[in-house]
Parts: sequence; C-alpha cells; structure tokens
Amino acid sequence: MTAPLLDVTDLKTWFATSRGELKAVDGVSFSLAQGEVLGLVGESGSGKSITGFSIIGLIDEPGRIVSGSVQLEGRELVGLPAHELRAIRGKTISMVFQDPMMTLNPVLTIGTQIRLALEAHEKVSVEEARKRAIDALAQVRITEPDKKVDYYPHQFSGGMRQRVAIAIALLHRPKLIICDEPTTALDVSVQAEILAEMKELVARLGTALIWISHDLATVASLADRVAVMRRGEIVEMGSALDVLTRPQHEYTKALLDALPSRAKPGQLLLRGSGVTDASPPGRRQSTASLPPLGAPYLVIEGVSKHYQKSHGLIESLAIKAGWAEQEPVVRAVDGISLTLRRGEVLGVVGESGSGKSTLGRMAAGIFPPTSGTVRLNGKPVMSEGPRPSKITTSVQTIFQDPFASLNGRMRIGDIIAEGPIAHGLVSRAEAGDYVAQWLSAVGLDPGFARRFPHQFSGGQRQRIAIARALAMQPDVVVCDEPVASLDVSIQAQIINLLIRLRRELDLSLLFISHDLSVVRHLCDRVVIMYRGKIVEEGEAAEIYANPQHDYTKRLLAAVPVLPQAAE
Amino acid sequence: MLVFLLQRLWQALIVVLAMSALVFCGVYAVGNPIDVLISPDATQDIRAAVIAKYGLDLPLWQQYLVFLRRLIGGDFGQSFVYNMPVSQLILSRLPATLELTLAAVLFASLVGIPIGVYAGYRPNSIVSRAIMAVSILGFSVPTFWFGLMLIMVFAVQCGCMPAGGRGSTVSLFGVEFSFLTLDGLQHMLLPALNLALFKFSLMIRLARAGTRELMLSDTVKFARAAGLSEFTVLSRHVLRLISIPLVTVFGLELGSTLAFAVVTETIFSWPGLGKLIIDSITSLDRPVMVAYLMLVALLFIVINLVVDLTYAVLDPRLRKGRG
Repeated sequence: MTAPLLDVTDLKTWFATSRGELKAVDGVSFSLAQGEVLGLVGESGSGKSITGFSIIGLIDEPGRIVSGSVQLEGRELVGLPAHELRAIRGKTISMVFQDPMMTLNPVLTIGTQIRLALEAHEKVSVEEARKRAIDALAQVRITEPDKKVDYYPHQFSGGMRQRVAIAIALLHRPKLIICDEPTTALDVSVQAEILAEMKELVARLGTALIWISHDLATVASLADRVAVMRRGEIVEMGSALDVLTRPQHEYTKALLDALPSRAKPGQLLLRGSGVTDASPPGRRQSTASLPPLGAPYLVIEGVSKHYQKSHGLIESLAIKAGWAEQEPVVRAVDGISLTLRRGEVLGVVGESGSGKSTLGRMAAGIFPPTSGTVRLNGKPVMSEGPRPSKITTSVQTIFQDPFASLNGRMRIGDIIAEGPIAHGLVSRAEAGDYVAQWLSAVGLDPGFARRFPHQFSGGQRQRIAIARALAMQPDVVVCDEPVASLDVSIQAQIINLLIRLRRELDLSLLFISHDLSVVRHLCDRVVIMYRGKIVEEGEAAEIYANPQHDYTKRLLAAVPVLPQAAE
Repeated sequence: MLVFLLQRLWQALIVVLAMSALVFCGVYAVGNPIDVLISPDATQDIRAAVIAKYGLDLPLWQQYLVFLRRLIGGDFGQSFVYNMPVSQLILSRLPATLELTLAAVLFASLVGIPIGVYAGYRPNSIVSRAIMAVSILGFSVPTFWFGLMLIMVFAVQCGCMPAGGRGSTVSLFGVEFSFLTLDGLQHMLLPALNLALFKFSLMIRLARAGTRELMLSDTVKFARAAGLSEFTVLSRHVLRLISIPLVTVFGLELGSTLAFAVVTETIFSWPGLGKLIIDSITSLDRPVMVAYLMLVALLFIVINLVVDLTYAVLDPRLRKGRG
C-alpha cells in the first residue's frame, strides 16, 4: 500500500474566547489517498470548515492549532513557517469556498485574478498568463473563455462564478482540493451541473478532494468515503454507501431521520418531534365569518410586478432623442393567478430569480402589485389609491433569515407583543401572558421574553419569528423560505412545528421554497415558478410522480438523491 | 456616459444659479460698503457718485440681474478695495492655496493610507496601537494650536524653518509657484503639515477600518488560499476594495481644504485665497466675497463629478451599460 496523500492525526484547533477555550476541532484523525474523495458532513458549528482551514493553515486569530499533525505526503504542515505554508497553498492544496459572490474580488477582472494566482507560484508573462487563464476557464466549461477572461465577477451568474473559483483552485494542478460547501449557495440545477463537472474533473486529473457539506445527499453523489462530524469530533467514518445506508452512530441516524425526503409526506419527522409543546392561545375573533375549509380563500388574480427605473428630465430627453436606451422593464412576476384554499398548504417552488418571493410579498400585502388583485375572502389585502397600505391582519409573513428579520435591539417579548398591541388584539396588561403562551406554543421557555434576539440560535430565532407571525392571529401565513438557512435537525423541528400549528389553528400556508423535498413533505398542492410565470400547478403527489413541464422535470432530476438501503 | 455628463452639467447649472442668488442676497444683507469705501467727510455728491458708479442705488433684484448679465460675459466685477477685476485678483491668489492644499492632501493620503492599512492588517501590534493614538491626537488637537506649536518649535526655538510667507517663487506658465524652489518648499513644509494633520488622521482611521473588515472577508481568504503573498493580498485586493470610501473622503477634504484653509493661511501668513476672503469680509468687499463663494460651489461640483467618475473607474459594478 502506498503512503497516503494526507494524514491528519488527532488535530485540535481551539479558539480562545472570553468564556474559555472553544474546541472547534477536537481530536480529528483521518487519512486520504491519492485521488480519493472524502465527504466531511456535519451541521453548523461541527468544526468541519475549521478542519479544512486547519489543513491549509489559514486559521484566523484567536484560533490556533493546539496539537496534532497534518502530514502531506509525509511532510508535517503544522508549525511550518508562514512562507513555506504559502508555497504549498494554491500549489499542492487549494480551496474553494461556499459563496462565489464573496470569494472573487468584484473590482478585478477574472483574468487579473487568475494571473495573480499564477504569479503566486511561478513567473509568467502577461500574455502567457492570459493564455493560461483562457485555458483554465475552458476547462471548467465556460463558453467563449477568450472573451469572458476580461469580464468582472458581477457579469457572471452564481454558478459561473463558482466555476471560476474552481478554475483558480485547479490552476497549479494541486494534489488536493478542499471544497467548503461549494454548492450550498447555488440553485439545484446549477448544483447538479457543478457536481457532475467536479466529479469528472477529479477523476480525470486524479485530484483528491475533501468535500465539506451539510447536505448528505450531495455528499453521497460524490464521495468515496464519508466522515460525519459533530462538536469538533468525527463520530462516524466509512464508505459513503455504508454510512448513509447502514449508519452505526446515533447522530448519523438522527441526521438521516431528519431529512424530509426519507419520511412520508405530511407526517411529523422522526427526530424533530420529541418536545411536546403547549397549545397556542385561543382565537380572539370568531372564525364563523370565514369560509369552510377547502373553499377558495386567498385569491390572486392576474398579478404582475414590474420594475422600471424612473428617468430624470435630461435622461428622458436623451431617450427621446435616441442618445440613450430605455432600460428594459424587469418582470419579476408576470401575470400570475392562483388560489389558496382555506386550510391548505400551497407550495411555491422556483429557483432564485423566479419571482417567488415577490409573489409572496404581494400576497402578504407588503407591497402592491403593478397590476392584478390580491383578495382575501373577497376583500382586498391592500387599500386603493396612490399609496396603498396593508389593511388586514389576517395575512402574516415568516421570513427566511431569522437573523435579519428580528430587531436586535428589542426584547423578544416586545417583538411578539408589538403587533397584537398595536392592533388591539390584546391589551398591554394581557400582553405578558399572551407572549408567554405563544413562546411555549412554539417550544420555547416563556421566561425567554426578557431576552434579546442575539442570545438565540438560528432555529430558536425562527421559532420566535413564527410566534411573532402567529400572535397576530392570521388565517393565512406566507412562509418565505422559513427553513432554508437552518441545519437539517433544526429544519425538521421547524417543519414539525409548522405541521402541528397548522392543524391546531386551521391555518392556510403559502409555502415558498427552493427545496423540493421540504415542499413535497409539507404541501398539499404545488405551483412551479419559472421567470415570473407559473409553469405547472397541481397536487403535490401528482407533480412529483408525473411532472409535465420540461422545467419541472429538469428541476426534479437535479435533486441529489440519497442511496436507499436494501431492506 | 454622455447622458450622465449632461445630467451632471444640468445639475451643476442649477446649483450654481441657486448659489449665486443665495450668496448675492446674503452678502448684500450685511453692512454698507460705502461707509468703508469712502472717508466719512466726503461730500454728499461724491457719495452719490460712488453709489451710482457701483450700481448700489438700484433695487436688489436689478443689481442681481446686472450681476448675472456680467457673469455670463465672465466678468465678476471690480473689487471695491483693490480696484482691479475680481477674477484677476482670485486667479493671482489661487495657485498659492492650490499648491499648499494639494501638498497637504497628498501627504495625508500617500502617507496616511499605507499606515492605516498596516494598522488594520496588524490591529494588535504595538506599532498599530501607537498609530491609532497619534491619529486620535490628530483629530482632537485644534489646527491653530498645532500651527502655533509648529512655529514655536521649528521657527522660534530651532530657527531651522521659516515662520511664514511663501518664500521665493518660480514662474511656471505665467503663474508663481513655491514648490519649485528649495526656499519655497521650506516655507511650505510647516503650513502643509499643519493642514494635513486632521486629514492624515482621517485617512489612517478609514484605511484601518476598511482593512480590518476586509481581512476577515472570503475574498482575502480565497486569495490567501490560492497562495498569494500577504503583500499582494494587501496591495492588489485590499487596497482596491477600500479605495471607494477613501476617494470619497479625499474629494470632500480636498474641496473643503481648498475653500477653507483660512486658519492655517492666517497663522503662517500664506498669501492664499483664505487670507483674501478674510480681508474682503472685514472690508466688505462684496464682489470678491460673491465671486469667492461661487468659486467654492463650483469647486465642490467639479470635485464631486471627478469623484463620481473615479468610482466608475474603481468599481466596474458602477459602470453603466454592463457588457
């Protein structure tokens, strides 16, 4: 047997904080052969990214490698002087990061950035660097590379940017590439392309790969071996098929059970349950005036949202004179009609830029449509006139990012009580009890009401956001990617919470998501959006089993699938 | 691009017009220049003749219209005090202020930015802490006091530097400049240093804050992961990315220094625009005041335009007509 390419033994990377040492990586050992693909899986805070950065020697203060060794072809990397490490970085080991929007420098052309990376390890002339850059772009299947080399990053789409990042990582034919969640920020169809290309490149060039991801399914489609990390340790490691179909460790099993794709639609997810939450407080208004369950409730008719830049005097004149061109109208949502029946969960699925969030915001009365109507139970959601405002409290929204959607300077009790007090649902005196009831209904300690948002984790914040939306006692809740930024186990808890609350409160949900498996699990009916239009609509089971539109077919085919155990 | 420039020109025209009206009315509301211009014992006839000569007997709006008509022809009127065309007067003083200001702002940027980048790159080192302490001092010490201290130490105690004036000048394109002679440079050093202190501290802090933030960004991490040297990371990536706020402040500071270098020019008796405007305010020399304030407005407009155009050069995302 040949010596392994990379040998990591008992690696410990700790961060000194004011509350003692944070053991981000705590005794990780693994080895990697030439050309092998290792998937490193874990939830946020498991230390998987820090492991990657430790190998490449890029741990920022106050972190440091406390002990352990990282050997690359028998050479110890830990404790190597900075300039020797630099000589290895990019040359023998390179790295690709999560967000291609953030990694490339927006003010330098792609060609310049590739040249800088080339110059880091060899002497090249400007012309030669340009030629090499074009070749590198061609290798990652960027069309017209001789033109694109002079582009700036903002002229590329997310997937193309990630391809450029991969091209830079491959420049010096490294023996090992560390990919830190490289497809997480991308749409499924783009992710599928990148995964396929990566697989092919790695096989052709014989590069070893460490693929860091929170997503078991993408790892499964790529890796030879999988290591599952939790709290800085590897809890289970083995061949990809073994780990994913016959998990030994409790934590791996829990991760797999939390995936909606492995559960029956509509049922509580296995690992997300467990906590028995209190019932939500009763409704203040009678529901007698509402239509029966199953009747059309929120009716969206011919709704469009167009964006156009407004012109000043000179600009308008110039356009008339033909000196300047009218900027094209952006049709974010283009003539959509759909009906949400009372008590159902309607999934709106689409990739980024499809207009699904814009649709959700118009449905929730956050901004008015350019044309068309949104009516709840026959009454408009927004007032008429030049400056429409929302005139109902029956539609509420849960937003994607629970870090941005909660005001960091307000106590969560005040955050939840603000709306109900303003609309007279509860008096100031009752508010405390009301908030406590909602906090326990979403599975949080009622005592948390005095705390601030930053004291909570992402999952807890999303619970707070749900409590805030539901405390307004809405009939319709627009959920805009409510679980997209959460770890799978937290995601399972939130999905279960939504399933439960919806049953108990007879809520109707407009569930906007890019994640097909979550939508499949939660929704009764599904609409598929593409470039501002609905391309397909139907019962969830029907669409997933028998997609009609080409786009739906492509979308479904792009979803990475977990290997199923033969039972 | 053409449309953008036209738009800016149009805006500039409106601003200048509004500014002229404001300044004209404002300046004409204070004092009576006639009292300053002619001796109190002049006869009533002479008085009336002078008032008529300067057009001061007309109602304000007519005076303004006359002023505007002359302005279109490029004539700012005659200075009451110097009895020469205002434009000529200002042009003769402008080079002194221009060279002093440019020296100060360039020094502040060329020295301040690298120091700031270093302080942001190694935020915890002793040198960085010392740099930050100096910059706080630079913010809080009043300009006039620092100027007086400079004169005290270098001119009075050591005697190695001149205390004021421009020194010997050399004519270039028909304009007198100090920076071309050694003596002139010596005269310029202290006032330029005095003028630069605040800007210097500002540039340090801005560059430091930008660098600190960027050092943690994925762009820098990715560049490091590709094996780029720290110097390349700083000079090619960080410097380019922090340049936009720096250019903004550079432009603002350049404008305000050109316009309001008054304190420094007075302390070092530097014969620039600042001294001219102070003199003309005390002697109620209205045409000079109006012309000067309009020049300031124009300066800011031009500097802002240049800054905006520089943005487009620095950041491709701001260019119109994405390729």
